[in-house]
Amino acid sequence: MKLYDEIFKKPWPYWVGGIILAVLNVILLCTTDSLWKITSGFVYWGALGLEKLGYDSANWYYFSVYDNGLNEGETFLNNNYTVINIAVIVGALLAVLWANEFKWKRIKNRKQFFFALTGGILMGYGARLSFGCNIGAYFSAIPSFSLHGWIFAAFMFVGAWIGSKILFKYIL
Amino acid sequence: MEEYKLDCLHEACPIPLLKALKQLEKMEIGDILIMHTDHNCSIANVVEWAEKHGHHIDYIEIAEGEWEIYIEKAR
Amino acid sequence: MTSSKIQALKRQKEIKHKKKKRQTPYAVLATTIALIIYLMLTNYHLHLSGFWIIGILLGVTMQRSRFCFAASFRDPIMVGSTSLLKAILIAFIISTVGFFIIQYRAVALNPEYLLTEIPGRLQPVGIHTALGAILFGTGMVVAGGCASGTLVRIGEGYIMQLVVLMGFVIGSTLGAKHFSFWDRILISEAPTIYLPDYLGFFPSLILQLLLLCVLYYIVDWYDKKNSIMATM
Repeated sequence: MKLYDEIFKKPWPYWVGGIILAVLNVILLCTTDSLWKITSGFVYWGALGLEKLGYDSANWYYFSVYDNGLNEGETFLNNNYTVINIAVIVGALLAVLWANEFKWKRIKNRKQFFFALTGGILMGYGARLSFGCNIGAYFSAIPSFSLHGWIFAAFMFVGAWIGSKILFKYIL
Repeated sequence: MEEYKLDCLHEACPIPLLKALKQLEKMEIGDILIMHTDHNCSIANVVEWAEKHGHHIDYIEIAEGEWEIYIEKAR
Repeated sequence: MTSSKIQALKRQKEIKHKKKKRQTPYAVLATTIALIIYLMLTNYHLHLSGFWIIGILLGVTMQRSRFCFAASFRDPIMVGSTSLLKAILIAFIISTVGFFIIQYRAVALNPEYLLTEIPGRLQPVGIHTALGAILFGTGMVVAGGCASGTLVRIGEGYIMQLVVLMGFVIGSTLGAKHFSFWDRILISEAPTIYLPDYLGFFPSLILQLLLLCVLYYIVDWYDKKNSIMATM
């Protein structure tokens, strides 16, 4: 039981997490020739939704440039980004269940809802401008020796500072 | 010695830590702050913060995914 | 670190809350389903099965270590603690070496490489990167989690993060729709800068590792300096 608690119950030190994430990302690049990206998948989900509503989202300019489109044989739902996004959710669920800590956590109030939605939209829009979120344009970009990762990191601090100001002023 | 309760249920990350910081500033040395939270980041970042600043801290899981964190102001 | 007062409180609480529901059956069930999906993927979509299993491992790791990219940017600013940022710098040191080996092998096979053929994430850099990063950083702190954190928290049962995900999908789709505009005014003129192109392979590896180590020391020093009650 002691070992079980160590592994499944107590939080791991942050640096252990960092090492494992880095190794997994390298394995992913090595075995699939693709990197850990998240928000590209979100675009596909949004486009899928619009397609279902009758829009011609598949022909957007966005999907025709910079490798943003799908590979052959993939659809907005059947692609590796969707798979890895769902897998991350499932992974977290498994970890939490084995730790015996799962609990539905409801939304506290309207303010929380509003800030969650706004924050999400800001992140989504920003991620398209900078070619990825803090995974695609940061965690996977800096080790790829691409300058845009470093620029992204530097300016994310600016954004985090603005966000902290907002948080202190309106949310706390 | 006084006990203060802090309800942080349903609060997202950094709010529990920031609330605790604010409350601790108002407290006297030896007072105890009891935080009730369901955010599992808190048992990592509040604990880390308190240890770094030399306060006594411990936590206990009171239900699935709910914790009580005890902080004794030490300085 | 604990104290006698805290121990007493804890003991009181423990007596009150002895009974706890076990979630192990659900855990077993969920694990089985995840494994079945893995087996199905290996049969029908082999290339997706790797993504599935690595994604699960990523999710488990992030949940267990409470890894949070948002916090790594926010905590140094808000409370002056940098242990998460240090963990990310360690991750960068490891993955830099790993990516370097993969990229170097690819390039050694084909010395006249094109930028698009390099394994990795190479994208144009310019004002749009900065703009996007500022928007992203702001949103990340306001919403209380970044993209990966949002996914992990959904797995943990946060309804709020489902709202964030909704916003995320709306925002990304909007961004994709407006992409032609941004491409016209900013992105199309921005260069893709692959550091080894300018500095050579081994110099850029050494430079990057050096930079990461220097950053680690600065960040470590900052953490210690802020050991006093952070001024709010």
